[in-house]
Amino acid sequence: MTTAASARRSEFESSIQVFEPHRASLPPVRPYLREFWRRRRFAYELSRTTQKAANFDSPIGSVWLVLNPLLLAFVYFLLIEVISGGAKRPAGWSSFLHIVIGLFTWTLVASCMSVGATSVTAGGKLILNQSFPRALLPFSSVITSLMNYWPTIPVYLVMYGLGLVLLPHVPPGQGSTGLVGPTWALLWHPVLVALLVITGYGLAMIFSTMTVYFRDTTKFLSYVLRIWLYLSPVLYPVSAMVDKYEKVWPPLGKIMIYGNPLGPVLGVMNDIWIEGVSPSPALLAGAILWAAFLLLFGGWFFVSRERDFAVRL
Amino acid sequence: MPSDSDLAVKVEDLWIRYRTSYEANQTLKGAVLKLGKRSERRKKSVRVVEAVKDVSFDVHNGTVLGIVGANGAGKSTLMRAVAGILPPTEGRITVNGRVSTLLALGVGFNAMLSGRENIMLGCLAAGLEMDEIQDKYDQITEFADLGDFIDLPMRTYSSGMYGRLAFAVSVHMDPDILLIDEALSAGDAAFKEKSFSKMRELCEQARTILIVSHALGTIQELCTDAIWMHKGELVRQGTPEQITEDYLRFLKVGESALTLEDV
Repeated sequence: MTTAASARRSEFESSIQVFEPHRASLPPVRPYLREFWRRRRFAYELSRTTQKAANFDSPIGSVWLVLNPLLLAFVYFLLIEVISGGAKRPAGWSSFLHIVIGLFTWTLVASCMSVGATSVTAGGKLILNQSFPRALLPFSSVITSLMNYWPTIPVYLVMYGLGLVLLPHVPPGQGSTGLVGPTWALLWHPVLVALLVITGYGLAMIFSTMTVYFRDTTKFLSYVLRIWLYLSPVLYPVSAMVDKYEKVWPPLGKIMIYGNPLGPVLGVMNDIWIEGVSPSPALLAGAILWAAFLLLFGGWFFVSRERDFAVRL
Repeated sequence: MPSDSDLAVKVEDLWIRYRTSYEANQTLKGAVLKLGKRSERRKKSVRVVEAVKDVSFDVHNGTVLGIVGANGAGKSTLMRAVAGILPPTEGRITVNGRVSTLLALGVGFNAMLSGRENIMLGCLAAGLEMDEIQDKYDQITEFADLGDFIDLPMRTYSSGMYGRLAFAVSVHMDPDILLIDEALSAGDAAFKEKSFSKMRELCEQARTILIVSHALGTIQELCTDAIWMHKGELVRQGTPEQITEDYLRFLKVGESALTLEDV
Protein backbone atom coordinates (compact mmCIF):
# COMPACT_ATOMS: atom_id res chain seq x y z
CA MET A 1 0.00 0.00 0.00
CA THR A 2 1.32 3.45 -0.83
CA THR A 3 1.84 5.95 1.93
CA ALA A 4 -0.88 8.17 0.57
CA ALA A 5 -3.29 5.31 0.60
CA SER A 6 -2.37 4.30 4.12
CA ALA A 7 -2.81 7.88 5.28
CA ARG A 8 -6.19 7.89 3.68
CA ARG A 9 -6.92 4.56 5.27
CA SER A 10 -6.22 5.84 8.74
CA GLU A 11 -8.35 8.86 8.04
CA PHE A 12 -11.15 6.49 7.22
CA GLU A 13 -10.43 4.30 10.21
CA SER A 14 -13.52 5.73 11.82
CA SER A 15 -15.61 4.95 8.79
CA ILE A 16 -15.74 1.22 9.40
CA GLN A 17 -19.30 0.14 9.06
CA VAL A 18 -20.69 -3.09 10.37
CA PHE A 19 -23.96 -4.42 9.04
CA GLU A 20 -25.61 -6.92 11.30
CA PRO A 21 -29.07 -8.42 11.62
CA HIS A 22 -31.59 -6.32 13.41
CA ARG A 23 -34.97 -6.69 14.93
CA ALA A 24 -37.39 -3.80 14.74
CA SER A 25 -35.05 -1.54 16.63
CA LEU A 26 -33.38 1.78 16.12
CA PRO A 27 -29.96 2.09 14.50
CA PRO A 28 -27.46 4.08 16.59
CA VAL A 29 -29.29 7.37 16.96
CA ARG A 30 -26.41 9.81 17.07
CA PRO A 31 -24.66 8.75 13.83
CA TYR A 32 -28.06 8.59 12.19
CA LEU A 33 -28.86 12.16 13.12
CA ARG A 34 -25.39 13.28 12.08
CA GLU A 35 -25.76 11.70 8.65
CA PHE A 36 -29.25 13.15 8.40
CA TRP A 37 -28.02 16.64 9.16
CA ARG A 38 -25.08 16.29 6.78
CA ARG A 39 -27.47 15.51 3.94
CA ARG A 40 -30.14 18.10 4.74
CA ARG A 41 -29.32 19.85 1.50
CA PHE A 42 -30.28 16.68 -0.32
CA ALA A 43 -33.81 16.85 1.10
CA TYR A 44 -34.10 20.44 -0.04
CA GLU A 45 -32.80 19.79 -3.54
CA LEU A 46 -34.93 16.68 -3.90
CA SER A 47 -38.00 18.73 -3.01
CA ARG A 48 -37.04 21.55 -5.36
CA THR A 49 -36.24 19.36 -8.34
CA THR A 50 -39.29 17.14 -7.86
CA GLN A 51 -41.49 20.21 -7.79
CA LYS A 52 -39.76 21.41 -10.91
CA ALA A 53 -40.28 18.11 -12.68
CA ALA A 54 -43.98 18.30 -11.84
CA ASN A 55 -44.06 21.86 -13.21
CA PHE A 56 -45.19 23.24 -9.90
CA ASP A 57 -42.50 25.88 -10.04
CA SER A 58 -44.18 27.58 -12.99
CA PRO A 59 -46.33 30.65 -12.21
CA ILE A 60 -49.52 28.79 -13.15
CA GLY A 61 -48.53 25.87 -10.94
CA SER A 62 -48.12 28.04 -7.87
CA VAL A 63 -51.33 29.95 -8.63
CA TRP A 64 -53.16 26.66 -8.40
CA LEU A 65 -51.52 25.82 -5.11
CA VAL A 66 -53.06 28.98 -3.62
CA LEU A 67 -56.28 28.92 -5.57
CA ASN A 68 -57.16 25.40 -4.54
CA PRO A 69 -57.57 25.99 -0.78
CA LEU A 70 -59.10 29.37 -1.52
CA LEU A 71 -61.84 27.91 -3.70
CA LEU A 72 -62.34 25.17 -1.15
CA ALA A 73 -62.73 27.82 1.54
CA PHE A 74 -65.36 29.51 -0.58
CA VAL A 75 -67.28 26.26 -0.99
CA TYR A 76 -67.23 25.57 2.73
CA PHE A 77 -68.19 29.16 3.44
CA LEU A 78 -71.23 28.77 1.21
CA LEU A 79 -72.12 25.49 2.86
CA ILE A 80 -71.86 26.81 6.38
CA GLU A 81 -73.03 30.39 6.10
CA VAL A 82 -75.55 30.29 3.33
CA ILE A 83 -77.04 26.84 3.10
CA SER A 84 -77.10 25.99 6.79
CA GLY A 85 -78.07 29.61 7.53
CA GLY A 86 -75.24 30.71 9.80
CA ALA A 87 -77.29 33.58 11.20
CA LYS A 88 -75.61 33.29 14.57
CA ARG A 89 -72.52 34.99 13.26
CA PRO A 90 -73.18 38.40 11.81
CA ALA A 91 -69.79 39.09 10.28
CA GLY A 92 -69.75 36.91 7.21
CA TRP A 93 -66.38 38.11 6.03
CA SER A 94 -64.86 37.43 9.42
CA SER A 95 -66.04 33.86 9.39
CA PHE A 96 -64.83 33.52 5.80
CA LEU A 97 -61.43 34.71 6.98
CA HIS A 98 -61.54 32.16 9.76
CA ILE A 99 -62.24 29.38 7.29
CA VAL A 100 -59.49 30.58 4.96
CA ILE A 101 -56.76 30.77 7.61
CA GLY A 102 -57.94 27.43 8.95
CA LEU A 103 -57.84 25.79 5.53
CA PHE A 104 -54.46 27.28 4.61
CA THR A 105 -53.10 25.94 7.88
CA TRP A 106 -54.83 22.63 7.43
CA THR A 107 -53.52 22.31 3.88
CA LEU A 108 -49.94 22.62 5.12
CA VAL A 109 -50.29 19.57 7.36
CA ALA A 110 -52.55 17.64 5.00
CA SER A 111 -50.00 18.14 2.23
CA CYS A 112 -47.20 16.91 4.51
CA MET A 113 -49.27 13.78 5.01
CA SER A 114 -50.37 13.12 1.46
CA VAL A 115 -47.09 14.04 -0.27
CA GLY A 116 -45.15 12.39 2.54
CA ALA A 117 -47.17 9.18 2.34
CA THR A 118 -45.75 8.38 -1.11
CA SER A 119 -42.27 9.76 -0.47
CA VAL A 120 -40.69 6.41 0.32
CA THR A 121 -42.43 4.40 -2.38
CA ALA A 122 -41.70 7.12 -4.95
CA GLY A 123 -38.04 7.16 -3.91
CA GLY A 124 -37.78 3.44 -4.51
CA LYS A 125 -34.96 3.66 -7.04
CA LEU A 126 -32.94 5.86 -4.76
CA ILE A 127 -33.51 3.53 -1.83
CA LEU A 128 -32.46 0.44 -3.78
CA ASN A 129 -29.28 2.09 -4.99
CA GLN A 130 -27.92 4.19 -2.21
CA SER A 131 -27.62 3.98 1.49
CA PHE A 132 -28.64 7.17 3.30
CA PRO A 133 -30.95 8.05 6.19
CA ARG A 134 -34.35 7.32 4.70
CA ALA A 135 -36.05 9.83 6.98
CA LEU A 136 -34.78 12.44 4.52
CA LEU A 137 -37.47 11.40 2.05
CA PRO A 138 -40.52 12.38 4.16
CA PHE A 139 -38.53 15.39 5.30
CA SER A 140 -38.23 16.44 1.70
CA SER A 141 -42.03 16.21 1.37
CA VAL A 142 -42.39 18.49 4.37
CA ILE A 143 -40.12 21.01 2.68
CA THR A 144 -42.29 20.79 -0.43
CA SER A 145 -45.41 21.41 1.65
CA LEU A 146 -43.81 24.35 3.40
CA MET A 147 -42.70 25.86 0.09
CA ASN A 148 -46.28 25.59 -1.14
CA TYR A 149 -47.54 27.16 2.06
CA TRP A 150 -45.54 30.40 1.84
CA PRO A 151 -47.46 31.90 -1.11
CA THR A 152 -50.74 31.52 0.79
CA ILE A 153 -49.62 34.00 3.45
CA PRO A 154 -49.59 37.13 1.25
CA VAL A 155 -52.92 36.04 -0.21
CA TYR A 156 -54.35 35.83 3.25
CA LEU A 157 -52.86 39.20 4.17
CA VAL A 158 -54.61 40.83 1.21
CA MET A 159 -57.94 39.37 2.27
CA TYR A 160 -57.28 40.42 5.84
CA GLY A 161 -56.48 43.92 4.63
CA LEU A 162 -59.75 44.04 2.67
CA GLY A 163 -61.57 43.00 5.82
CA LEU A 164 -59.93 45.83 7.73
CA VAL A 165 -61.28 48.33 5.24
CA LEU A 166 -64.76 46.88 4.97
CA LEU A 167 -65.63 45.56 8.40
CA PRO A 168 -66.34 47.23 11.72
CA HIS A 169 -63.44 46.95 14.10
CA VAL A 170 -64.01 45.17 17.36
CA PRO A 171 -61.74 44.82 20.38
CA PRO A 172 -59.57 41.68 20.76
CA GLY A 173 -61.41 38.61 21.94
CA GLN A 174 -64.63 39.33 20.05
CA GLY A 175 -63.61 38.06 16.66
CA SER A 176 -66.97 36.44 16.07
CA THR A 177 -68.73 39.80 15.91
CA GLY A 178 -66.41 41.68 13.57
CA LEU A 179 -62.79 41.97 12.63
CA VAL A 180 -60.08 42.51 15.19
CA GLY A 181 -57.24 44.55 13.72
CA PRO A 182 -53.69 43.21 13.72
CA THR A 183 -52.27 42.79 17.20
CA TRP A 184 -48.88 41.77 18.56
CA ALA A 185 -50.29 38.26 18.95
CA LEU A 186 -49.57 37.74 15.23
CA LEU A 187 -45.90 37.45 16.14
CA TRP A 188 -46.77 33.96 17.31
CA HIS A 189 -47.36 32.91 13.72
CA PRO A 190 -43.81 31.65 12.96
CA VAL A 191 -43.88 29.60 16.16
CA LEU A 192 -47.12 28.00 15.08
CA VAL A 193 -45.78 27.25 11.60
CA ALA A 194 -42.82 25.52 13.25
CA LEU A 195 -45.19 23.44 15.35
CA LEU A 196 -47.26 22.58 12.28
CA VAL A 197 -44.15 21.51 10.36
CA ILE A 198 -42.99 19.28 13.21
CA THR A 199 -46.45 17.75 13.52
CA GLY A 200 -46.61 17.28 9.76
CA TYR A 201 -43.20 15.62 9.67
CA GLY A 202 -44.23 13.16 12.38
CA LEU A 203 -47.41 12.30 10.49
CA ALA A 204 -45.54 12.07 7.17
CA MET A 205 -43.16 9.51 8.66
CA ILE A 206 -46.05 7.45 10.02
CA PHE A 207 -47.98 7.41 6.75
CA SER A 208 -44.97 6.86 4.50
CA THR A 209 -44.04 3.79 6.55
CA MET A 210 -47.59 2.50 6.31
CA THR A 211 -47.55 3.02 2.54
CA VAL A 212 -44.52 0.75 2.24
CA TYR A 213 -46.41 -2.07 3.91
CA PHE A 214 -49.87 -1.32 2.57
CA ARG A 215 -49.84 0.33 -0.83
CA ASP A 216 -53.46 1.41 -0.62
CA THR A 217 -52.81 3.63 2.40
CA THR A 218 -52.93 6.71 0.18
CA LYS A 219 -56.44 5.83 -0.93
CA PHE A 220 -57.60 5.56 2.66
CA LEU A 221 -55.70 8.69 3.49
CA SER A 222 -57.87 10.93 1.32
CA TYR A 223 -60.95 9.84 3.31
CA VAL A 224 -59.13 10.05 6.60
CA LEU A 225 -58.08 13.59 5.75
CA ARG A 226 -61.61 14.60 4.78
CA ILE A 227 -63.15 13.28 7.99
CA TRP A 228 -60.29 14.68 10.04
CA LEU A 229 -60.95 18.09 8.51
CA TYR A 230 -64.61 17.98 9.56
CA LEU A 231 -63.66 16.96 13.10
CA SER A 232 -61.11 19.77 13.40
CA PRO A 233 -61.79 23.38 14.34
CA VAL A 234 -61.27 24.58 10.78
CA LEU A 235 -64.79 25.29 9.61
CA TYR A 236 -66.00 26.23 13.11
CA PRO A 237 -64.08 28.04 15.81
CA VAL A 238 -62.98 26.07 18.85
CA SER A 239 -65.60 27.64 21.08
CA ALA A 240 -68.45 26.66 18.75
CA MET A 241 -67.15 23.09 18.55
CA VAL A 242 -66.77 22.78 22.29
CA ASP A 243 -70.33 24.11 22.84
CA LYS A 244 -71.73 21.67 20.33
CA TYR A 245 -70.06 18.56 21.75
CA GLU A 246 -70.58 19.54 25.38
CA LYS A 247 -74.28 19.39 24.77
CA VAL A 248 -73.86 15.72 23.93
CA TRP A 249 -71.60 14.86 26.84
CA PRO A 250 -69.78 17.52 28.88
CA PRO A 251 -66.19 16.15 28.67
CA LEU A 252 -66.58 15.47 24.96
CA GLY A 253 -65.89 19.08 23.99
CA LYS A 254 -62.37 19.01 25.44
CA ILE A 255 -61.74 15.50 24.14
CA MET A 256 -62.63 16.53 20.60
CA ILE A 257 -60.18 19.45 20.72
CA TYR A 258 -57.29 17.98 22.68
CA GLY A 259 -57.62 14.46 21.37
CA ASN A 260 -57.13 15.74 17.82
CA PRO A 261 -53.41 16.19 16.99
CA LEU A 262 -54.29 19.34 15.06
CA GLY A 263 -57.07 20.62 17.34
CA PRO A 264 -54.94 22.72 19.68
CA VAL A 265 -52.72 24.24 17.01
CA LEU A 266 -55.69 25.21 14.84
CA GLY A 267 -57.29 26.73 17.93
CA VAL A 268 -54.20 28.82 18.56
CA MET A 269 -54.19 29.93 14.92
CA ASN A 270 -57.74 31.15 15.43
CA ASP A 271 -56.71 32.91 18.65
CA ILE A 272 -54.04 35.03 17.04
CA TRP A 273 -55.61 35.74 13.64
CA ILE A 274 -59.32 36.01 14.36
CA GLU A 275 -59.59 36.86 18.03
CA GLY A 276 -56.39 38.91 18.10
CA VAL A 277 -55.38 37.54 21.48
CA SER A 278 -52.29 35.71 22.70
CA PRO A 279 -52.58 31.93 22.48
CA SER A 280 -54.48 30.33 25.32
CA PRO A 281 -51.85 28.49 27.40
CA ALA A 282 -53.80 25.23 27.43
CA LEU A 283 -54.14 25.14 23.65
CA LEU A 284 -50.50 26.10 23.16
CA ALA A 285 -49.35 23.40 25.55
CA GLY A 286 -51.56 20.90 23.73
CA ALA A 287 -50.07 21.92 20.38
CA ILE A 288 -46.50 21.58 21.67
CA LEU A 289 -47.17 18.20 23.25
CA TRP A 290 -48.78 16.81 20.12
CA ALA A 291 -45.92 18.05 17.92
CA ALA A 292 -43.30 16.54 20.24
CA PHE A 293 -45.16 13.27 20.57
CA LEU A 294 -45.74 12.86 16.83
CA LEU A 295 -42.13 13.72 15.97
CA LEU A 296 -40.79 11.16 18.45
CA PHE A 297 -43.34 8.47 17.73
CA GLY A 298 -43.24 9.00 13.96
CA GLY A 299 -39.44 9.05 14.05
CA TRP A 300 -39.28 5.82 16.00
CA PHE A 301 -41.94 4.18 13.81
CA PHE A 302 -40.12 5.14 10.61
CA VAL A 303 -36.47 4.73 11.54
CA SER A 304 -36.92 1.40 13.29
CA ARG A 305 -38.43 0.01 10.08
CA GLU A 306 -36.46 1.81 7.41
CA ARG A 307 -33.86 -0.92 6.95
CA ASP A 308 -36.71 -3.15 5.94
CA PHE A 309 -37.80 -0.81 3.13
CA ALA A 310 -35.32 -2.06 0.53
CA VAL A 311 -36.78 -5.55 0.88
CA ARG A 312 -40.33 -4.34 0.63
CA LEU A 313 -40.06 -2.05 -2.36
CA MET B 1 -1.20 -13.67 5.43
CA PRO B 2 -2.37 -10.04 5.44
CA SER B 3 -3.80 -8.76 8.67
CA ASP B 4 -7.42 -7.88 9.25
CA SER B 5 -6.70 -4.16 9.04
CA ASP B 6 -5.89 -4.67 5.39
CA LEU B 7 -9.40 -5.86 4.67
CA ALA B 8 -11.82 -3.66 2.75
CA VAL B 9 -14.81 -5.96 3.07
CA LYS B 10 -15.29 -8.89 5.39
CA VAL B 11 -18.37 -11.02 4.98
CA GLU B 12 -18.97 -13.59 7.70
CA ASP B 13 -21.59 -16.33 7.59
CA LEU B 14 -23.99 -14.10 5.71
CA TRP B 15 -27.57 -15.20 5.23
CA ILE B 16 -30.18 -13.07 3.57
CA ARG B 17 -33.74 -14.24 3.54
CA TYR B 18 -36.76 -12.34 2.58
CA ARG B 19 -40.40 -13.10 2.46
CA THR B 20 -42.14 -12.59 -0.80
CA SER B 21 -45.82 -12.49 -1.19
CA TYR B 22 -47.68 -13.96 -4.13
CA GLU B 23 -49.99 -11.00 -3.92
CA ALA B 24 -48.51 -8.15 -5.90
CA ASN B 25 -48.59 -5.75 -3.02
CA GLN B 26 -50.13 -6.08 0.35
CA THR B 27 -53.04 -3.78 0.90
CA LEU B 28 -54.69 -2.43 3.98
CA LYS B 29 -57.96 -3.74 2.63
CA GLY B 30 -56.45 -7.21 2.21
CA ALA B 31 -55.04 -7.15 5.72
CA VAL B 32 -58.42 -6.22 7.19
CA LEU B 33 -60.22 -8.90 5.20
CA LYS B 34 -57.69 -11.52 6.28
CA LEU B 35 -57.95 -10.71 9.98
CA GLY B 36 -60.50 -13.46 10.62
CA LYS B 37 -58.85 -16.26 8.69
CA ARG B 38 -55.21 -16.05 9.53
CA SER B 39 -53.35 -19.29 9.40
CA GLU B 40 -53.70 -21.33 6.23
CA ARG B 41 -54.25 -18.89 3.45
CA ARG B 42 -51.60 -16.63 4.85
CA LYS B 43 -48.96 -19.32 4.89
CA LYS B 44 -49.69 -20.19 1.31
CA SER B 45 -49.34 -16.67 0.00
CA VAL B 46 -45.94 -16.06 1.59
CA ARG B 47 -42.74 -17.74 0.50
CA VAL B 48 -39.35 -17.29 2.08
CA VAL B 49 -36.58 -16.75 -0.44
CA GLU B 50 -33.07 -17.55 0.67
CA ALA B 51 -31.12 -15.24 -1.56
CA VAL B 52 -27.74 -15.64 0.12
CA LYS B 53 -26.86 -18.76 2.10
CA ASP B 54 -23.98 -18.87 4.52
CA VAL B 55 -21.53 -16.87 2.45
CA SER B 56 -18.16 -15.84 3.87
CA PHE B 57 -15.29 -14.15 2.10
CA ASP B 58 -12.71 -11.44 2.57
CA VAL B 59 -11.73 -8.71 0.17
CA HIS B 60 -8.37 -7.02 0.64
CA ASN B 61 -7.64 -3.43 -0.20
CA GLY B 62 -6.82 -2.90 -3.84
CA THR B 63 -8.51 -6.09 -4.95
CA VAL B 64 -10.81 -6.17 -7.92
CA LEU B 65 -13.19 -8.94 -7.08
CA GLY B 66 -15.29 -10.42 -9.83
CA ILE B 67 -18.53 -12.16 -8.95
CA VAL B 68 -19.96 -14.60 -11.46
CA GLY B 69 -22.98 -16.82 -11.37
CA ALA B 70 -26.19 -17.67 -13.13
CA ASN B 71 -29.32 -15.55 -12.78
CA GLY B 72 -30.79 -15.80 -9.32
CA ALA B 73 -27.48 -16.68 -7.72
CA GLY B 74 -27.81 -13.86 -5.21
CA LYS B 75 -25.09 -11.67 -6.67
CA SER B 76 -27.10 -8.46 -6.69
CA THR B 77 -28.50 -9.15 -3.23
CA LEU B 78 -24.97 -9.63 -1.97
CA MET B 79 -23.91 -6.32 -3.51
CA ARG B 80 -26.82 -4.49 -1.90
CA ALA B 81 -25.94 -6.00 1.45
CA VAL B 82 -22.33 -4.83 1.15
CA ALA B 83 -23.63 -1.37 0.25
CA GLY B 84 -25.69 -1.35 3.44
CA ILE B 85 -28.97 -1.20 1.56
CA LEU B 86 -30.26 -4.63 2.54
CA PRO B 87 -29.76 -5.72 6.12
CA PRO B 88 -28.33 -9.22 6.71
CA THR B 89 -30.68 -11.79 8.18
CA GLU B 90 -27.79 -13.56 9.85
CA GLY B 91 -24.06 -13.03 9.91
CA ARG B 92 -22.10 -9.88 9.61
CA ILE B 93 -20.57 -7.60 7.03
CA THR B 94 -17.75 -5.26 7.92
CA VAL B 95 -16.98 -2.55 5.43
CA ASN B 96 -13.94 -0.35 5.84
CA GLY B 97 -14.35 2.86 3.89
CA ARG B 98 -16.69 4.85 1.78
CA VAL B 99 -18.83 2.81 -0.55
CA SER B 100 -20.08 4.00 -3.91
CA THR B 101 -22.61 1.92 -5.75
CA LEU B 102 -23.37 1.42 -9.39
CA LEU B 103 -26.13 -1.11 -9.24
CA ALA B 104 -28.30 -2.62 -11.90
CA LEU B 105 -31.01 0.01 -11.86
CA GLY B 106 -28.61 2.85 -12.47
CA VAL B 107 -28.18 5.52 -9.86
CA GLY B 108 -31.45 6.79 -8.40
CA PHE B 109 -32.05 8.88 -11.43
CA ASN B 110 -35.27 10.73 -12.00
CA ALA B 111 -35.95 10.67 -15.72
CA MET B 112 -37.82 13.98 -15.63
CA LEU B 113 -34.77 15.84 -14.39
CA SER B 114 -31.69 16.84 -16.34
CA GLY B 115 -28.41 14.99 -16.05
CA ARG B 116 -27.00 17.98 -14.18
CA GLU B 117 -29.72 17.83 -11.51
CA ASN B 118 -29.40 14.09 -11.19
CA ILE B 119 -25.66 14.36 -10.65
CA MET B 120 -26.29 16.87 -7.91
CA LEU B 121 -28.94 14.72 -6.22
CA GLY B 122 -26.77 11.61 -6.44
CA CYS B 123 -23.80 13.41 -4.89
CA LEU B 124 -25.93 14.97 -2.15
CA ALA B 125 -27.48 11.64 -1.23
CA ALA B 126 -23.99 10.21 -0.99
CA GLY B 127 -23.20 12.90 1.56
CA LEU B 128 -20.99 15.26 -0.42
CA GLU B 129 -20.98 18.96 0.36
CA MET B 130 -22.17 21.51 -2.16
CA ASP B 131 -18.67 22.91 -2.82
CA GLU B 132 -17.25 19.41 -3.29
CA ILE B 133 -19.98 18.77 -5.83
CA GLN B 134 -18.99 21.86 -7.81
CA ASP B 135 -15.51 20.36 -8.19
CA LYS B 136 -16.79 16.91 -9.00
CA TYR B 137 -19.31 18.19 -11.43
CA ASP B 138 -16.81 19.14 -14.14
CA GLN B 139 -14.93 15.87 -13.78
CA ILE B 140 -18.15 13.89 -14.07
CA THR B 141 -19.48 15.71 -17.13
CA GLU B 142 -16.12 15.53 -18.83
CA PHE B 143 -15.84 11.82 -18.16
CA ALA B 144 -19.40 11.03 -19.23
CA ASP B 145 -18.91 13.22 -22.33
CA LEU B 146 -22.58 13.76 -23.03
CA GLY B 147 -22.29 17.21 -24.60
CA ASP B 148 -25.48 19.26 -24.58
CA PHE B 149 -27.50 16.36 -23.29
CA ILE B 150 -26.31 17.09 -19.78
CA ASP B 151 -28.94 19.83 -19.48
CA LEU B 152 -31.76 17.84 -21.04
CA PRO B 153 -34.15 15.64 -19.07
CA MET B 154 -32.83 12.13 -18.72
CA ARG B 155 -35.87 10.67 -20.42
CA THR B 156 -34.25 11.87 -23.66
CA TYR B 157 -31.10 9.79 -23.03
CA SER B 158 -30.22 6.59 -24.77
CA SER B 159 -29.48 3.66 -22.48
CA GLY B 160 -25.79 3.97 -23.32
CA MET B 161 -25.76 7.61 -22.22
CA TYR B 162 -27.62 6.65 -19.08
CA GLY B 163 -25.03 4.04 -18.25
CA ARG B 164 -22.15 6.40 -18.98
CA LEU B 165 -23.51 9.03 -16.65
CA ALA B 166 -24.17 6.48 -13.93
CA PHE B 167 -20.66 5.14 -14.20
CA ALA B 168 -19.14 8.61 -14.22
CA VAL B 169 -21.03 9.57 -11.06
CA SER B 170 -20.10 6.49 -9.11
CA VAL B 171 -16.37 6.52 -9.90
CA HIS B 172 -16.05 10.21 -9.07
CA MET B 173 -17.47 9.87 -5.58
CA ASP B 174 -13.94 9.10 -4.31
CA PRO B 175 -15.09 5.68 -3.21
CA ASP B 176 -12.86 3.42 -1.18
CA ILE B 177 -15.01 0.58 -2.31
CA LEU B 178 -16.82 0.66 -5.62
CA LEU B 179 -19.65 -1.77 -6.28
CA ILE B 180 -20.52 -2.33 -9.92
CA ASP B 181 -23.44 -4.48 -10.93
CA GLU B 182 -23.86 -5.26 -14.63
CA ALA B 183 -23.34 -1.71 -15.67
CA LEU B 184 -20.40 -1.90 -18.01
CA SER B 185 -22.28 -3.34 -20.91
CA ALA B 186 -24.05 -0.07 -21.64
CA GLY B 187 -21.25 2.02 -23.10
CA ASP B 188 -19.66 1.69 -26.52
CA ALA B 189 -16.18 0.31 -27.06
CA ALA B 190 -14.46 3.66 -26.55
CA PHE B 191 -16.26 4.30 -23.29
CA LYS B 192 -15.56 0.76 -22.15
CA GLU B 193 -11.85 1.32 -22.62
CA LYS B 194 -12.10 4.59 -20.72
CA SER B 195 -13.99 2.99 -17.86
CA PHE B 196 -11.50 0.12 -17.64
CA SER B 197 -8.58 2.49 -17.36
CA LYS B 198 -10.44 4.52 -14.75
CA MET B 199 -11.01 1.36 -12.72
CA ARG B 200 -7.36 0.38 -12.99
CA GLU B 201 -6.45 3.84 -11.80
CA LEU B 202 -8.71 3.38 -8.77
CA CYS B 203 -7.09 0.03 -8.01
CA GLU B 204 -3.64 1.54 -8.13
CA GLN B 205 -4.77 3.90 -5.40
CA ALA B 206 -5.45 0.80 -3.31
CA ARG B 207 -9.16 1.15 -3.70
CA THR B 208 -11.32 -1.87 -3.90
CA ILE B 209 -13.80 -2.82 -6.57
CA LEU B 210 -16.47 -5.50 -6.60
CA ILE B 211 -17.84 -6.30 -10.04
CA VAL B 212 -20.80 -8.44 -10.91
CA SER B 213 -20.76 -9.33 -14.56
CA HIS B 214 -21.87 -11.93 -17.03
CA ALA B 215 -19.15 -10.79 -19.41
CA LEU B 216 -16.43 -13.24 -18.43
CA GLY B 217 -13.95 -11.37 -20.60
CA THR B 218 -14.39 -8.35 -18.37
CA ILE B 219 -13.81 -10.44 -15.29
CA GLN B 220 -10.62 -11.92 -16.69
CA GLU B 221 -9.32 -8.62 -17.93
CA LEU B 222 -9.96 -6.55 -14.83
CA CYS B 223 -10.14 -8.72 -11.78
CA THR B 224 -7.45 -9.97 -9.47
CA ASP B 225 -9.74 -12.30 -7.55
CA ALA B 226 -13.09 -13.90 -8.25
CA ILE B 227 -15.90 -15.76 -6.61
CA TRP B 228 -18.60 -17.90 -8.14
CA MET B 229 -22.03 -18.03 -6.63
CA HIS B 230 -24.79 -20.47 -7.36
CA LYS B 231 -28.29 -20.43 -5.87
CA GLY B 232 -27.22 -18.26 -2.97
CA GLU B 233 -24.16 -20.28 -2.08
CA LEU B 234 -20.54 -19.44 -2.64
CA VAL B 235 -19.25 -22.27 -4.79
CA ARG B 236 -15.63 -21.30 -5.11
CA GLN B 237 -13.16 -18.47 -4.69
CA GLY B 238 -10.02 -18.29 -6.77
CA THR B 239 -8.12 -16.54 -9.53
CA PRO B 240 -10.30 -15.03 -12.27
CA GLU B 241 -8.93 -17.46 -14.87
CA GLN B 242 -9.67 -20.48 -12.76
CA ILE B 243 -13.14 -19.32 -11.73
CA THR B 244 -14.26 -18.33 -15.21
CA GLU B 245 -12.97 -21.62 -16.56
CA ASP B 246 -14.85 -23.59 -13.91
CA TYR B 247 -17.95 -21.50 -14.43
CA LEU B 248 -17.87 -21.98 -18.19
CA ARG B 249 -17.48 -25.71 -17.79
CA PHE B 250 -20.41 -25.68 -15.41
CA LEU B 251 -22.54 -23.77 -17.89
CA LYS B 252 -21.82 -26.37 -20.56
CA VAL B 253 -22.18 -29.47 -18.46
CA GLY B 254 -24.93 -28.24 -16.19
CA GLU B 255 -25.48 -28.95 -12.57
CA SER B 256 -23.53 -32.21 -12.55
CA ALA B 257 -20.24 -30.35 -12.83
CA LEU B 258 -20.79 -29.01 -9.36
CA THR B 259 -21.06 -32.43 -7.81
CA LEU B 260 -18.32 -33.97 -9.92
CA GLU B 261 -15.82 -31.29 -8.98
CA ASP B 262 -16.65 -31.60 -5.34
CA VAL B 263 -15.86 -35.29 -5.16
